[in-house]
This record gives sequence, C-alpha cells and structure tokens, in this order.
Amino acid sequence: MPAETKQEDLNLIVATALSLKNGETCFVGIGVPSLAAMLAKRTHAPDLVLIYESGAIDSNPAIPPLSTGSPCIPDSSLMIGDCLDVFGDLQAGRIDVGLLSAAQVDKYGNLNSTVIGDYRKPKLRMVGSGGAHDIETLAPRTLILMPHEPRRFVAFVDFITSPGTRGRDGKAYDRPAGAGPSELITGRGRFHFAEGVLTLVETFDPFGKAGALEGFTVDVAVDPKCREGVVFPEATRALAAELSA
Amino acid sequence: MTAPSKLVSLPEAIRNHLPDGSTVFIGGFGHAVPFASAHEFIRQGKKKLTLCRAGTDILFDQAIAAGCVSKVIFGYIGNPGVGLAHSFSRALAEGRIEMEEWTNFSMVLRLHAARLGVPFLPADILKAGDIAGGSIDVRPVTCPYTGKLLSAIPALKPDVALIHAQRADEAGNIQFWGIDGDTREGALASDTVIATVEEIVPTETIRKSPERTMIPAHRVASVSLVPGGAHPSYVQDYYGRDDAHFAEYDKISRKPETMDAYLESHIRGVADRAAYLKLFEPARIEALGLAGKAGSAA
Repeated sequence: MPAETKQEDLNLIVATALSLKNGETCFVGIGVPSLAAMLAKRTHAPDLVLIYESGAIDSNPAIPPLSTGSPCIPDSSLMIGDCLDVFGDLQAGRIDVGLLSAAQVDKYGNLNSTVIGDYRKPKLRMVGSGGAHDIETLAPRTLILMPHEPRRFVAFVDFITSPGTRGRDGKAYDRPAGAGPSELITGRGRFHFAEGVLTLVETFDPFGKAGALEGFTVDVAVDPKCREGVVFPEATRALAAELSA
Repeated sequence: MTAPSKLVSLPEAIRNHLPDGSTVFIGGFGHAVPFASAHEFIRQGKKKLTLCRAGTDILFDQAIAAGCVSKVIFGYIGNPGVGLAHSFSRALAEGRIEMEEWTNFSMVLRLHAARLGVPFLPADILKAGDIAGGSIDVRPVTCPYTGKLLSAIPALKPDVALIHAQRADEAGNIQFWGIDGDTREGALASDTVIATVEEIVPTETIRKSPERTMIPAHRVASVSLVPGGAHPSYVQDYYGRDDAHFAEYDKISRKPETMDAYLESHIRGVADRAAYLKLFEPARIEALGLAGKAGSAA
C-alpha cells in the first residue's frame, strides 16, 4: 500500500476517534467505524459505550470484528441484549452518536450503500441499508467516514439509502431538530454540514485545502476559518496503525 | 407426565414441516446461523421459498444459488465483513428473484409486530430517502394522541423459522444464549419453529436455568440434534467462527461455475453435517473447536 494511502487511512481512524467524547454512547458499525471507536476507547475516551446493532452493549473488542455478531463482540461486552434493545434506544434518543460509511455521499450527506446505477437495473448491487438508514435518521449526531476517493463524492447519490440534510428538491428533511449528519471525515480533512451543505473546516497533515478537495467534482464550501494541516498525536497514530494492522 | 418427544432427524423435520412456497425466517445474527437446516432444504430441493431476516449472510446466497428461493425480505444482504452477495446479484439481474428491501430496524419491528399479534408498529424511520418507494410500500400513520406523523411498519409473520441453538430437551424447550440479534423475535413471530441444537439435555438441566430458554416446547414443531450445525458461523461456548470460510466463499460465489461446484461438493453431495465437516482440513476443524463433530467414516 502506498505510504500516502496508509497515512490517510490512519488519519481517518484517528480524526474520527477524536470526535468521540468520553462518556458518550456510540452506535458502531463494522470496518473503520469499529477501528475508530476502539481507538477512542483505548485513548481519550475509556468510558465511551460501544453499541453494536446485533444487541451487544458496552463492548470493547480485542480485534476488529468482521460482523456485528462476531465472537470478539460478545466476548468483550457488558450486556448482550437484542436488536430491539439497541434500535429502540436509538429511536428513543438514548444513543448519542452513530458512525457510518457508504459507497457514495453527496453534499447533503445523503448516503448510498444500495446500488450503483438504476435501482431496477443496477450496475452494481450492494448490501443495502442494514442499520445505516436507521442510524442516520435517528442518531442525534452522525459521523460519516469516507476514504478520500473523489468518485465516491457525487452531486447526488444514485440511491438515498440513508437521508442526510436535504432531498433531491433541496428541501430540508422533516426530522427531529439536531438529528442527521453532523460531520464527514476523510483521510485528508473534516467537513461539517453548515446550512446543511458539506463544508470543509479542517485539513489533516500533510494536506492543505487543495489536497483535501483534490479531484472533487462536487460543490464543497470551505469555511473561512478552515484550519490547515492538523497534526495528530504520534502515540494515537501508532495505536491506530496497530489496531488496523 | 412426560411431555411427548419432538426429537426427529433433520431430514425428517425439513420434510414434514417446511413445505414448498413457505415464508421462512432464518435465525442467527452472525451467531448460530442454521446452515445445516438450509443445506438440508437445498438437498431436498425445496422450491419457491421466501427467506427473511434483518441482516442476512451467505446462507441466503447459497439457497438462492441452489434455486430454492423466489423472494427475499431483508434489511442487509451480503457477506458480513467480506463483501457482496454475488449469487443474489446474479439472480436479481436475471429476474429470477423478487425482493423486499427494508432496514434492519424496520425488519425487527415487522417481526415484533407479528409476535405481538398487531398489524403494524409505528416508527420514526422510512419517511425520507429512497428505500420507501423502492421495493416496498411504506404508509404514513398519524399518532391519535400527539398528531405526530410516523411510518406504519407492517407485521411480517413467517410460516416457518429455522433456528440453531446450544441445547434443548427432547420435548423441544430450546435454550439459546449469546448474540441473538432478531432471532428471538423471528422465532416467536413464526407459526412453526424447526430447531437444530448442539446438544440434547435432560429436562432437569433446562429447569435449572429456565432463563436460558428462548423458545418453549409448545411453540416448537421439531428439534434435531446436529452438532456443528452452524458452521461456518459459530455457537457461543461451543465453537468459533470460521472467518476464513466467509472469505473463501466470496471467491467461490463470484462465478456460477465455481458456485455450482460448491453446491455439489459441500451441500448436495454430502449426506449430513458430519460428512460436510469432514470436507475441511482437520487442523482447521480442531482449531475452531469442532473436532469430534466431523464424521469418522471416510
């Protein structure tokens, strides 16, 4: 793997971990979301409560799980409930933050993990929502984690699996105040959804604004106060590398 | 009085309780997935089944590849942590299968509604985005107390549930622990439960920890003793998950030819679970904790 890609992968994990606060409850998915939550729990947020959709509560997996039902999850949990327990808590507003990835995202934070191309005749059929729609709809805070691959950032997603801030008509979705996507993180920078639209607010070392937006064909706003070249603590980066090895 | 025994062989259970055309809930959220039962219905050439559950895995893909399935109802369909459901994608592209695509939460609510015996449950999801209106019709409902607009998530009552669990007595009291996901909801929503277990234990053992009983005998049609019945998934306190096989399956299922060969070698061409487990390297079976469950005959 090229060194730059590796650095971006670590940036994505570390930057996400740093967005999770100690004491929060966090609905975690498989892949980078799990790595980031595991890293946060091992560094600044030991009391972060990891919740998996399989019903596992307050987990601390020793290795990154392949499925939300994998043995490393129950082996490290303080409670095994069921799907109804955790999705019920999510809908009742008792889970603080959700972490999601997807194949495509647009400037409104709409996510697609269902099809590339037409729904009836897809170029690529993917896995569908799983819990993603439910998380982005219901979590007070949703962090979207995407590798810096410009083809994944599109003017409008081919299929809205999980609704972001606004629909195709540009109108804000009807949802509880505050819910919806709050940040999008790539290996190169952090974006917020000011006025509901993707806005660059921070870039990660060694990338500046141009690097964070390199190759994007989609309109992205840049915050006038955007911080450039944020450097992460070396120890945290090292631990991220260890976890993802 | 001794309760009547519901202990039968798995072929007999599938023959007697799983008619063609059934809507079948598949238990197991990553854990305790009833692969042995699915392989048996594939061997028996079951047709026109509708398979449902929230988060599916490669069991669905195998049953679709084998031509047993005419419809799937799901929240997620893929190979968890590995990739896509290739046989499903081919069947969809060739128009061989119908689908109803929901979300994991809405699937759980559909099963829960059936379990409660109500026609729908309200939820604050599926009001925005393309899932509602994609392959499913989701209707709005207004709360009569608050005026709040919600989605009415319709009940899904499967005909049959296939469940794999740790243990049961001969009467069919099924004890299950570890990751459940939507297994309990799906089992108790279904009209008929076909269970496979790792162990048959005396009723006295069940009585000592009744909190572990997930499905009581009066809701169970049959129980079959099938050690190793969840491989390549796992059973808490019995054996581990064969992660490597999920990765191997990704390669196997990418092409119809290799997929068909797998169906022949690992499913249709073996008599039972013990013979299936014999197909894997003894070292792997040993490492997973499955030794002794593979057949001894060559």
